Amino acid sequence: MAAPDPNAPAVDIAAAMVTAPSTFADWLLILPVAVPLLTGAILVMVRHHTHLHRPLAGAGLAILLGLNLLLLQRVVTEGPVTMMMGGWLPPFGIAFTADVLGATFATTAAFAALVATATAGPSINTAERRYGFYPFLMLLMTGVTGAFLTGDIFNLYVWFEVLLISSFGLLVLGSEKRQIDGTVKYGILNLVATTLFLASVGLLYGTLGTLNMADIAAKARAAGPEAPLVTIAALLTFAFAMKAAAFPLNFWLPASYHTPTPTVSALFAGLLTKVGVYALLKVGVLLLGNQTGAFSSVLVVVAGSTMVIGALGALAGSDLRRILGWLVISGIGSMLIGVAVGTPTALTGSIFYAVQSMLVMTALYLAAGVIEARCGTGDLRRLGGLYAVSPLFAGVVLVLFFAVAGLPPFSGFWPKAILVEATLAADLPWLAAAVLVAGFLQTLAVGRVWLYAFWRGGPEGTPDGTLQLAGIGRIEDPADRIALVGPVVVLAGAVVLMGLVPTVVGGLAEDSARGLIDPAGFTARVLGATAP
Amino acid sequence: MTDPSPAPTWILLALAAPFLAALVAPTVHRLFGRAAAFALAAVPLAAFVGFLTLLGPVADGARLTTGFDWWPSYGVRFSLLVDGLSLVFALLITGIGTLIVIYAGGYMKGHPQAGRFMSFILLFMGAMLGLVLADDGITLFVMWEATSITSFLLIGFDHTRARARRAALQALVITGAGGLCLLAAVLLIGGATGTRTLSEVVATGDVIRGSDLYLPIFLLVLGAAFTKSAQVPLHVWLPNAMEAPTPVSAFLHSATMVKAGVYLLMRLHPVLGGTPEWTTVLPIVGGLTLLTGTLMAVRQTDLKLMLAQTTVASLGLLVLLVGVSTDAAIVGAVGYLLAHAFFKGALFMIAGTIDHEAGTRDVTKLGGLRKLMPITFASALVAAVSMAGLPPMIGFVAKEALYLGLDEAGRTALIAVAVAGNALMLVIGFAVALKPFLGPEVHTPKHAHEGPLELILGPIVLGAVGLGAALFLHGFSEIIVLPMAGAITGRPVEADLHLIPTYVSTPLILSIVTVALGVVAYLALTPLRAAVDAVVRGIGWGPDRGFDQIVAGLVGFASVVVRVVQPGRLEAYMAIVLGLAVVTLLAPLLLFGELPAWPAFPDLTAQEAVVILIAVSGLVAVVVARTRLTSIVSLGIQGFAVAVIFVLFGAPDLAFTQFMVETLSVVILALVLTRLALGERDHRPLRQKVVDAVIGGGLGLAFMLVLLKITQAPFDRTLTDFYDTYSRTIAHGRNVVNVIIVDFRGLDTLGEIAVVMITGLAILALVRVKARTPILPTPETGKRK
Amino acid sequence: METALSVLVGLFLATAFYLMLSKKIIRILLGVAVMGNGVNLLIFTSGRLTRELPPIIATDAYVLPPGAANALPQALILTAIVISFSFFAFLLVLAFRAYQDLGTDDTDAMRFAEPVVDDGPPQGY
Repeated sequence: MAAPDPNAPAVDIAAAMVTAPSTFADWLLILPVAVPLLTGAILVMVRHHTHLHRPLAGAGLAILLGLNLLLLQRVVTEGPVTMMMGGWLPPFGIAFTADVLGATFATTAAFAALVATATAGPSINTAERRYGFYPFLMLLMTGVTGAFLTGDIFNLYVWFEVLLISSFGLLVLGSEKRQIDGTVKYGILNLVATTLFLASVGLLYGTLGTLNMADIAAKARAAGPEAPLVTIAALLTFAFAMKAAAFPLNFWLPASYHTPTPTVSALFAGLLTKVGVYALLKVGVLLLGNQTGAFSSVLVVVAGSTMVIGALGALAGSDLRRILGWLVISGIGSMLIGVAVGTPTALTGSIFYAVQSMLVMTALYLAAGVIEARCGTGDLRRLGGLYAVSPLFAGVVLVLFFAVAGLPPFSGFWPKAILVEATLAADLPWLAAAVLVAGFLQTLAVGRVWLYAFWRGGPEGTPDGTLQLAGIGRIEDPADRIALVGPVVVLAGAVVLMGLVPTVVGGLAEDSARGLIDPAGFTARVLGATAP
Repeated sequence: MTDPSPAPTWILLALAAPFLAALVAPTVHRLFGRAAAFALAAVPLAAFVGFLTLLGPVADGARLTTGFDWWPSYGVRFSLLVDGLSLVFALLITGIGTLIVIYAGGYMKGHPQAGRFMSFILLFMGAMLGLVLADDGITLFVMWEATSITSFLLIGFDHTRARARRAALQALVITGAGGLCLLAAVLLIGGATGTRTLSEVVATGDVIRGSDLYLPIFLLVLGAAFTKSAQVPLHVWLPNAMEAPTPVSAFLHSATMVKAGVYLLMRLHPVLGGTPEWTTVLPIVGGLTLLTGTLMAVRQTDLKLMLAQTTVASLGLLVLLVGVSTDAAIVGAVGYLLAHAFFKGALFMIAGTIDHEAGTRDVTKLGGLRKLMPITFASALVAAVSMAGLPPMIGFVAKEALYLGLDEAGRTALIAVAVAGNALMLVIGFAVALKPFLGPEVHTPKHAHEGPLELILGPIVLGAVGLGAALFLHGFSEIIVLPMAGAITGRPVEADLHLIPTYVSTPLILSIVTVALGVVAYLALTPLRAAVDAVVRGIGWGPDRGFDQIVAGLVGFASVVVRVVQPGRLEAYMAIVLGLAVVTLLAPLLLFGELPAWPAFPDLTAQEAVVILIAVSGLVAVVVARTRLTSIVSLGIQGFAVAVIFVLFGAPDLAFTQFMVETLSVVILALVLTRLALGERDHRPLRQKVVDAVIGGGLGLAFMLVLLKITQAPFDRTLTDFYDTYSRTIAHGRNVVNVIIVDFRGLDTLGEIAVVMITGLAILALVRVKARTPILPTPETGKRK
Repeated sequence: METALSVLVGLFLATAFYLMLSKKIIRILLGVAVMGNGVNLLIFTSGRLTRELPPIIATDAYVLPPGAANALPQALILTAIVISFSFFAFLLVLAFRAYQDLGTDDTDAMRFAEPVVDDGPPQGY
């Protein structure tokens, strides 16, 4: 460290930096990003010692979940908390701001990732491990968690890119033809989306002169007519809607989600699109709420059509995981209603839906993985007889199917009821009808899958009363069986619990919604947090 | 209406008990074998006895409520209401449920999944009980759909048969759609009256009837009720549900679940009923259903289908009566609902016993069983007498009451329909009760003998109840019929029911006419059946085939939609995405007045202008490049031009990085292009080129416009000034850009480095990992390689 | 000055997106590279332009003179350049791998993940 320069002018540190020492509670904000990053780096270093990978990754994810839970607890009791990176005052440094929405999403994502990664044992072979499965996974979680916790919009872009490149790695690992094809389409389309996001960040900076989210929220409300904020808001919404796979920007999802290993598919289904939804909620409602409200009728149409077309896609499918991909899209439509309608009730419904969808879709893809492992195929025409062979597993899958279709008493129906009520109250009966019609089509779609894969005795054309399983029908190694089926059961249990006790997730959703429609409070807490 | 008073808390336990019993049912079955059914039946029996104790207070007019908060901030409470309406239903569900559980034990004896069957039956019982006791609208919806789900599992119990699967899916889809209507109705009612608690809603009087939302609420409630209670044309799932084992048919599809729609209409009658819409639509639909059901029943030869179709008809009759909406008609509806539960439940169980013991359900292949199954014959006769509406059974009292109701309301058309329907019901009742038993003995697939205790107990008890209710009519009326009717109308109801008519009234005349018609039709059953059959075949099409066509049509339509919206080609995807991006940018610019002012001509120095021109020429060259060399060089040109621009505008670090990155890009591109062909020309046809140029040009134009607009406004330099001021003084760095990168915004750099690391690893994986053969494990070992 | 560069940004992005609408994967990647440059110029222009004076504090000064370039967009662009180069490199290797394994560089012919389907969805029960 250089000796102090005698010519330097006197400077008041407190005018530039946070002077209060940081506590562990503050560190809770950055540790959920630092831990997976560090774990990922360690995993890269021990790349060739594949026997260390599982324990290290498991430990990293478990610690991540614990940290997120602590953070969530802190945020629920205290409101949004901020930590400034480098100690620089907001809005000059990068802020990490955890509000209830971000903390809830981060915790759910960590839980889904931990459970899904348990299935990686039997599914990922040694070569894939050596070439980075677990590092990619940890960096994926870094990007996801960073996106949920950051309070700076360019930093959000960086985490989006971290998560995107990690997903590229996961998607293509294995190098099957389907995967390479899928990665080409996924890669180019998602790159366009994040580049449009980057462009809009640049435009936003040029307009408002700041990158801090709280500062943007304040300045956007005070901006005059010389700022083209509606256009910028539209572009941001477009970019996030594409990341979230809203119709008609959803092409990349059905083109790629079904190609990698089921574990990877499950992680993607639970996490990736929800980051887009989160960004849409944050930017579309909290930051640029007034501007987004200007084109809310467009968003209403987008939300409704996404729900219905997703359901139609599921109805038309003949491969398990491709059907699930369309169900993911249909769910995204429900989550868009919150942004489109903007009322606290609608936002509560959308956020609740997002949280339960993270768990349900992860579980469904993992279940599809179990079925593919048992029967050697995911083709509905060739599946059959699973209910007779394993009724308990079939029951678990039925629970998940009903949850995704929004049937009570499972987790999916609470948000659907709230969304119908919110749309009716907002005088949007067509949107309410779209929610119900989509629910009907989803019920029909999952009912058909259940009939073919579970109830029917065998492949298409099996005579009544006979049983002809595809493949060998079971997973030989008991350790593998637990690793593949256990996570599905755990997630299904969480789904049932959410349905029976809606106050936990519902309360979090209500708090998040309240936070989103209170930009003044958000800004005050972030920018004023370090005031004396 | 009296104010609600607290209900005893054991009611919650009574509701939870069937669910808990369902959890342990398979274990109990495995442990106790034959006695398991009796053990499990103790649960509904206990609940039944408990509900009996509430008859007194409820008959005095009490309305008991209990519950707990489910989601308080959203206003949902798991609340239960015990009044005349829900108590009677609860008694039916638990009472008949007890008999059914015992019956199922006998019927499913030896079946490997008998325990699971009991479990599903108990689950359904709990859901149905919750449905009728629910006071909160959301709770009602949850229970409604739960009954649909359990019914789905029960109908498809014999799941390896395609017909059973079809029936289950059909029931789920149709009643599920009704459930969605119910949800919307509950929410709209909440919006109109300010509460979703049914006991409060029914006290609001004319609020809903007077609001704009009456018609949507009415239609949605009808959607829910008509799907669940199998009204024409949504009735098709009910006969198909006969694919389920008979205990299911007896319990769900005659006595309880199908009445849920009628229950809903009855529950909401105080606030929805009495309007012209109500008194027109319901009787018409109900009447149509009554006639359709009875005619279709005549056509059937399968015992269960005959009974199923007459159940459809009976539900139609109930809807018709509720539609008439007068006090007397409501009393008639109540009486008929109870009578129907008793005789139809018994007849279904008898049909199942015949099937179980004789091996066939076809009425043309049965005969002479009276000597082999005397007890069953006797119970069948008793039930049929009630179904035909003859004294001394409760069916007669009910029929008299409903004729009185229709007569007092002056609905002569409905009277004619009711008479015709009831006449045909007599036919079917006696066809089921007499044809298999009378006449000479016919050879049956199994050697027929009387059923065991479990199978014959139910019909005996129900027959006794049906008789007892008629004999002790005054008490039955006071504590069951009138309180239920009062809950439906919303005020106390008076009625004078007689078993023995005191004078020749219109209802008596109508009854005599009905019986006469019925007897004639019974004697002419075979030609009648042939005639109806011929007509139906002549028409050729019906709602059941319609269902298949609709499902197939939906799936086909979905497939077409998917093929359109997901073409499978990246070029199409890009064109749509980028085209929409153009619209996304240009529309707000134009519509919200965010276009820039016409800019002044830029003042550029000569070197800037030259560099810009070089960049543009690089761009043009990239577009028209046909050989690898040209493409590499032109990529380099535009990149290096950008670097020079950076230098000219005060960004040396950027220029340096840009030079490095551009060089690397060109090198990698060259390496890859040694293996790939570039293609002789940009192969796109002219039309494609024009479209792509428009999209590309549009997007470029849009960004240019936004950028102009932004740069025409003054810039907020707060952040920049901060960095300029404190870079050296606090952060000890003279290169402000570097200080931002490593200090002020160091976290971004950390992320960027992480991206580079992962990219390296990903590229390594891409290059090194050999393609594995199928992602799925080999069929032989089940392991992935 | 911003005017001229705004027009240039428009031209860059127009070219980039035109190239990305091609069927051939190499052309798409050329478009990706140009798009990266275009967006960098966009950020640069957004931060407002000043001629020639880089944001470097002289040895004897402690703050930047007025008229120095805006340092923040430069830092953002540096991050963006590196990130987009990483993606470009990955996609280039992916294109190479696609050519090797799938046998084509025409994205229209890449129908492995979403095959051209002959029979529609399963019907019946």
